[in-house]
Amino acid sequence: MSGTVTTETGGHAAPVSLVPSDEEIIERGRRVVDGYLVENRGGSERLIPLLHRVQEDIGYLPFPIQEYIAARLAISPIQVYSVVSFYHFFTTVPRGRFQLKVCMGTACFVQHAEGLLDTIKELTGLRVGEVTADRIFSLEQVRCIGACGLAPAMMVNDEVYGHLTPAEIRKLLRRLKSRAKQAAGEEAAHA
Amino acid sequence: MHEHTAAMDRPTRLGREDLRGIRARLRSVVDSRRRPPAPGAVPARRDVLVCAGGACVSCHSLPVADQLEREIAAAGLSATTRVVRVGCMGLCDAGPLVMISPDGSYYARVTSAAVTRIVDEHLRENKPVTDFELSWEGPEGVRKTGRDVPFFARQVKVALRNCGVVDPGSIDEYVALDGYLALEKILFELEPQEVIDSVKRSGLRGRGGAGFPTGMKWGFVREAVGGEKYVVCNGDEGDPGAFMDRSILEGDPHSVIEGMMIAGFVAGARQGYVYVRAEYPLAIERLAAAIEAARAYGLLGESILGSPFSFDIEIRIGAGAFVCGEETALLASIEGRRGMPRPRPPFPARAGLWGKPTLINNVETWANVPPIILRGEAWYSGIGTARSKGTKVFALAGAIRNTGLVEVPMGISLRDIVEEIGGGIRSGRPFKAAQSGGPSGGCIPASAGDTPIDFESLQELGAIMGSGGLVVLDEGTCMVELSRFFLDFLVDESCGKCPPCRIGTQIMLNLLERITKGQAAIEDLDTLHTLAAHIQRSSLCGLGQTAPNAVLSTLRHFRAEYETHVVDKKCPARQCKQLLIYTIIPDLCEGCGVCLKACPSGAITGEIKHLHVISQDLCIHCGACLTACPTDAVLAE
Repeated sequence: MSGTVTTETGGHAAPVSLVPSDEEIIERGRRVVDGYLVENRGGSERLIPLLHRVQEDIGYLPFPIQEYIAARLAISPIQVYSVVSFYHFFTTVPRGRFQLKVCMGTACFVQHAEGLLDTIKELTGLRVGEVTADRIFSLEQVRCIGACGLAPAMMVNDEVYGHLTPAEIRKLLRRLKSRAKQAAGEEAAHA
Repeated sequence: MHEHTAAMDRPTRLGREDLRGIRARLRSVVDSRRRPPAPGAVPARRDVLVCAGGACVSCHSLPVADQLEREIAAAGLSATTRVVRVGCMGLCDAGPLVMISPDGSYYARVTSAAVTRIVDEHLRENKPVTDFELSWEGPEGVRKTGRDVPFFARQVKVALRNCGVVDPGSIDEYVALDGYLALEKILFELEPQEVIDSVKRSGLRGRGGAGFPTGMKWGFVREAVGGEKYVVCNGDEGDPGAFMDRSILEGDPHSVIEGMMIAGFVAGARQGYVYVRAEYPLAIERLAAAIEAARAYGLLGESILGSPFSFDIEIRIGAGAFVCGEETALLASIEGRRGMPRPRPPFPARAGLWGKPTLINNVETWANVPPIILRGEAWYSGIGTARSKGTKVFALAGAIRNTGLVEVPMGISLRDIVEEIGGGIRSGRPFKAAQSGGPSGGCIPASAGDTPIDFESLQELGAIMGSGGLVVLDEGTCMVELSRFFLDFLVDESCGKCPPCRIGTQIMLNLLERITKGQAAIEDLDTLHTLAAHIQRSSLCGLGQTAPNAVLSTLRHFRAEYETHVVDKKCPARQCKQLLIYTIIPDLCEGCGVCLKACPSGAITGEIKHLHVISQDLCIHCGACLTACPTDAVLAE
């Protein structure tokens, strides 16, 4: 995958470098695994915490990383994959810099979360489970996030946003987008 | 950070004397936050409590706390006024919440402008700012504020005793309110068997859903043979609509740690695990900090408080699987495997984590343990009903005005919770039912609203206590669609191991979908019933055994609504889109053509500036025109 993508929306089509290459990501993931295993000893019971750590860092769990983890924990790759595929939280496809996680819990359902999801789909052009080409946004439906008092609610990465209306969603996405571009600019300058 | 929260700077292990010292130093200040103030007196010093529970944080309570600190400093009040970030105060709907102690004044939906006035008028001039004060207007001009507001006044706090009172980041504040005193008591004054007997006599039952007697479970693990034993906290709060465990872990993590330690001592375990959902990052962060603080004090680790008892706790983060709330699935997940349940017996008390005896209780159960040890079983069993003792924390959500977290004595009626504490239905529509226990639970109809709530009465109504999620429904919710929603959830979350659950729930879902689309026959209702009974009887674990509850309880209490869908092809709550007929009201249509563009099936015709018409033959009932119309001219019924 190329390291440069062009954002189509937002008026100006400036090339923004947001996506490192697969090789870079996998190399980085390997280092995360090594680092974790220095700090934490143990066998297969470390698998789930380790997967969390890797996904937190590189955003997803590509197959070469799963194989690497299996080798390091001395278990079979299929054991790793069986865990990755069982839990909703783990993903083998990349996610966006901002993961939009729309709560589909009962309280949000009663407060029309479906409409909220439709608005996001319309604004980002995403379907559930997809990521934008510039990897700024990815869209997920999640189980109750426990913010029922704020229904309808969603999480953007670890942050909860509640009592959402279509207008607020529009504002929020615009804000996040400019934040992503700014951050990408800074990272590029850094590199 | 305050002078007395710097636990990390003092690596020295504390003894009982040190704990006593902390209590002597801080007790009166922290304690005054939960007591009514002395009438008339202007307090010499104040704590400004800012709710830093998950819900308030997400409506920006932390910037409010920062601003309060800045303005208090600017007003020269820093010496006598301190800002404390506390756990969930309960009234999530009114966040950000601020409470002034010892005055007992609550401020709701605190904005930046409100902060300035609170500092100027309340803190400096001792005049509460009535415009922002949380208040309740009753009949005949009655106005109540502070703790007298019905939302707070009707509650009895045991598990939530410290939530909204102490800074969850300060182990000292927890210690100040007799924290870790129950641990001292069992380590130095009681025999393990005495502790078990006391918990048994208190009548405490598991708060995770099934209501198994806690003391009995502890006894099983104590008696179990096998070298190593484990204590596990189930914080995999997966029921949609429930946030009790999250709030306790965020607001008072030490109460859970202490509860687990007490059980560890009694059962003969030296290692504990807390399993928390990955969806709760703040709870994980605060619990991790609390564990670190307890280790730094020597309250976790080797020979605790100079006794021979050693104990430590590790956090395990879930990864999004509802079935992991089931205990054998949870244990499999801790071991690093797919979270799939296995048949019981053997129960985890005999063969749990890595085949060793394992004691599993839910977050809320653990939080109840220290007060039972300290205040005695008689005090605890004095609260509640004949067979369900103590209190229950409920997460109130849905169509209710005061959404939030409440703790009430067992035996309170649903109507009291909804109308008095919950403030009634927000939309003003009639109260229809309450859904308790999440996907495993059922619906309690408004007609049963006066039943005293306990484990048994809910079961008789076809619902369950569950972990405490209470989603209130008004007439705008369709019970068939709600059941379909839960079935859809369960089909997705079924682990797939046993066929009744894997296949049976899918067939039930298909039937429900047919009903919501108006394609079902009346016999389908009987099929649903029969299928439900089979799934209940033959599923491997709690997920499958309780999966039909939502359907069964709604079929029982709202059968007429199902029949209207099947026979008349109508949805009385107007939620099942496929059963709605969409028409355009001529008087309201401006002929803008927006609906025509929005319609995916080309069912709308009309010229610009002229009346548009929907062809019922082509309409696919998607509702796109309804949402698109700028003048609300589309009628759906």
